[in-house]
Amino acid sequence: MVSGPPLAFLLVFFAAPTLIMVLASFRSPGEFGGLAPLVDASGRIDLNVDGYARLVTEPVFAQVFVKSAGYAALTTLVCLLLAYPLATLIARSAKKHRDLLLLLVILPFWSNFLIRIYAWMIILGPNAALARLVNRALAAFGADPVPLLFSAFAVLVCLVYVSLPFMVLPLYANLEKHDRTLLDAAQDLGANAWQRFWRITFPLSLPGVYAGAALVFIPALGVFAIPDILGGPDDTLIGNLIKQQFLETRDWPFGSVLSIVLTAAALALAGGAAWVARRSGGASRA
Amino acid sequence: MRKSGPWLWASALVAYAFLYVPLAIVVVYSFNDSRLNAEWVGFTLDWYRKLAGDGAMIAAAGNSLVIGISASVVSTVLGTMAGVAMHRYRLRVLPLLILAPIAIPEILTGVSLLIFFVMLNVTLGLVSVAIAHITFCIGFVAIVVRARLAGMDETLTEAARDCGASPWNAFRYVTLPLITPGVIAGALMAFTLSIDDFVITFFTAGAGTITLPLQIYSMIKISVTPEVNAVSTLLMLLTLVLIVTAARISPTLLRSTQESTS
Amino acid sequence: MNGKTFALLVAASFALAAPAYAKDELHLYNWNNYIAPETIKRFEDTCHCEVIQTYYSDNDELLAKVAAGAKGYDVMVPTSNAVQTLIRGGQLMAIDKTAIPNLKNIDPAYLNTAFDPGNRYSVPYAMSTTIIGYNDVKMKELGLPTDTWAVIFDPKYLVKVKGRVTVLDSANELFAAALKYLGYSANDVDPKHWNEAAAVIRKAKPYWAAFNASSYIKELTVGNIWLVHGYSNDIFQANQDAEAAHRPFHILQGMPKEGAVLAVDNMVIQKGAPRPDLALKFINFVLVGRNSADLTNLIGSGNPNLDAMKYIKPEILKLPAVFPPKDIQAKLEQLKDLTVAQRRLRNKLWTEIKAAK
Repeated sequence: MVSGPPLAFLLVFFAAPTLIMVLASFRSPGEFGGLAPLVDASGRIDLNVDGYARLVTEPVFAQVFVKSAGYAALTTLVCLLLAYPLATLIARSAKKHRDLLLLLVILPFWSNFLIRIYAWMIILGPNAALARLVNRALAAFGADPVPLLFSAFAVLVCLVYVSLPFMVLPLYANLEKHDRTLLDAAQDLGANAWQRFWRITFPLSLPGVYAGAALVFIPALGVFAIPDILGGPDDTLIGNLIKQQFLETRDWPFGSVLSIVLTAAALALAGGAAWVARRSGGASRA
Repeated sequence: MRKSGPWLWASALVAYAFLYVPLAIVVVYSFNDSRLNAEWVGFTLDWYRKLAGDGAMIAAAGNSLVIGISASVVSTVLGTMAGVAMHRYRLRVLPLLILAPIAIPEILTGVSLLIFFVMLNVTLGLVSVAIAHITFCIGFVAIVVRARLAGMDETLTEAARDCGASPWNAFRYVTLPLITPGVIAGALMAFTLSIDDFVITFFTAGAGTITLPLQIYSMIKISVTPEVNAVSTLLMLLTLVLIVTAARISPTLLRSTQESTS
Repeated sequence: MNGKTFALLVAASFALAAPAYAKDELHLYNWNNYIAPETIKRFEDTCHCEVIQTYYSDNDELLAKVAAGAKGYDVMVPTSNAVQTLIRGGQLMAIDKTAIPNLKNIDPAYLNTAFDPGNRYSVPYAMSTTIIGYNDVKMKELGLPTDTWAVIFDPKYLVKVKGRVTVLDSANELFAAALKYLGYSANDVDPKHWNEAAAVIRKAKPYWAAFNASSYIKELTVGNIWLVHGYSNDIFQANQDAEAAHRPFHILQGMPKEGAVLAVDNMVIQKGAPRPDLALKFINFVLVGRNSADLTNLIGSGNPNLDAMKYIKPEILKLPAVFPPKDIQAKLEQLKDLTVAQRRLRNKLWTEIKAAK
């Protein structure tokens, strides 16, 4: 059975370790970090739902979840808008150019992540051309200068930047398969470019759109490096909070709790989107 | 091939520009005569010279390449199988196991894998890192392959079976060539994810294992010097050369991409 | 090529590779750029071994990895409170004092601390203080003081540098600074005082550009940021970079009069280390004054080694943030580790600060 090997691999190297941490979310933090022993000094098994209770009693975590979802959603939308024309162009190009164009999309991402972020810090710096342009325009309207770096804008730009290939590649893989003759037929029947796109191309590309959206939105939910390096003081996302639990606070159980809730929310959203896709996709399948 | 309108070209070019302006800065600054990666001072080849003598950095880059290639090959194979399985059968467990590694924060995956390896008394090293990378890459490949399959014409495979082809032959000669763009896209993603991973690698690397991201991130507090730009530029070029060479050597791969769309 | 030739080649390559495996290796787990390359080279020459370095950029990373069970390190370099955690967690090997006679070079003021009474597990290595770093031209222009935490926390000063200040992205460091500013001890654990400190931080937050522990040196040197809450080594580095780039300003260290956090980093040996013999040799080697001075001359770190003083560059010896005079030393405190309950409370306050608009 073709699902055997991947299933086996993931059961061993993913499910098992993750279950350890799921169990950890019900344990207490070790005094010096890590986890407290499962069976405490008096011989009782030490399991509790303190971590989950904290999520309910301290609303700040829910607020940060919502903010992170907002950033991730915005990132996904912008990625889609940028990626769609790019993927279409590549899918439509001559066969001998296609692979090269695809490689050109992904080439920047073989340089190191940190270096690319530093490049954005240079582009968005207060003394750089872009910031001066924007602030001069703002000053013309009488508004205060706004920092481009260390802001939500910087975080979003970088999020889009690192996520773009993960939207382009699935879209391309899907668009490449589209039958040109459908579009020709539609044109012959009098449909204009927009109608051809909206009524034929886009619905057919929905599986690619959903795949790309999943591969952008879900990882973006858990990001922490980008807000750490160029976020402002208000740009703390759930990924940062989770990292804090494992490192500075050394509260692994609570870190596990946050991670599990985040994962469950992400999977639920993905599942919900897939359900919606199945419902509407059936009708528009050409 | 359809003619593409001017709007399409313009927006695609904007997207390429968005991708390449920061990259141009990365490459140009590898020649920057300043320890900081902050502004242009002057031209120098010093950083490339320094890199040539920096055994640790080169070894780290080498490790990253080795892990990247092996992890992407294995995860592409496993991910393609998973994608096909998910498309064909109404599975319960596999889709969850596929999506979850993408959704789970990397720190949790890293810590849990470390604990798991320690429990099993596995020596940490290149192999433990590769296994960890495969774990989170499989999902990306599977999702792309499944999206590709979702747009595919099933009747072709059915026709092949009707003509007497075994399931394996039907897959190999009909399905696989049709999904090859998806498989390649998935493999590219897996490789990209692997060579740039920091968090999971940090936790699963052994006492003597160092990859390029580990090396670079440890410099984050002191200064990420242009030597890092230099090694990034070279790594990009090397990877490009490797892939173009591989494509030349195995023309069947490219041919199936072209043929499948005629 | 036939099978026999192939087998011969394989055997030959193993034979060539064999000596590599027999080489003596010391695994050093350290901060990046926290040991001079010359020191490593000199040690490798004396011991005829190879030093394999891997890095972490934060104590917490080291603690997390060790807590999860990572092994294979010989020497690690945690800060005092991390040493305390590691000792309590049973992660360290006791150091055989007879193997490190050079321990006598260390200033007794840094020995026998509450973190490791009798120095059974750790040996002081290098130090830094968490202070204020500033662009001297800008601060003079704006008429701001540089010897008090008020310039980071008080809105009446902050309004002049809005958007040009960064603070460390560390709850422990920022709370310590706020507590010192309020006149309390940095190790104060009274929740009432913590709430006061949190209030001070929240009031100042709107004026700060970012919580940043990684790229603030760069931003200081380039001139985007004018004032930071940062580590003395980093600020020293920023000044060197500014001079190398011929900037029209200097980046100076400002020691607040209310006092600051002192971080002493120590060499320890992990329990179950593969080569404790080499580890002890290494520690003894680094305790030699000349070797210890290498690092100070490289990054401007503080040095608890009395024998090293004569090898350190005089301009570094003069820096009060690196070698504080007696009256300042009295106001410096090393951070103590917190209990689980305290860590949770601090995290709750920190999360609220970070998530507050």
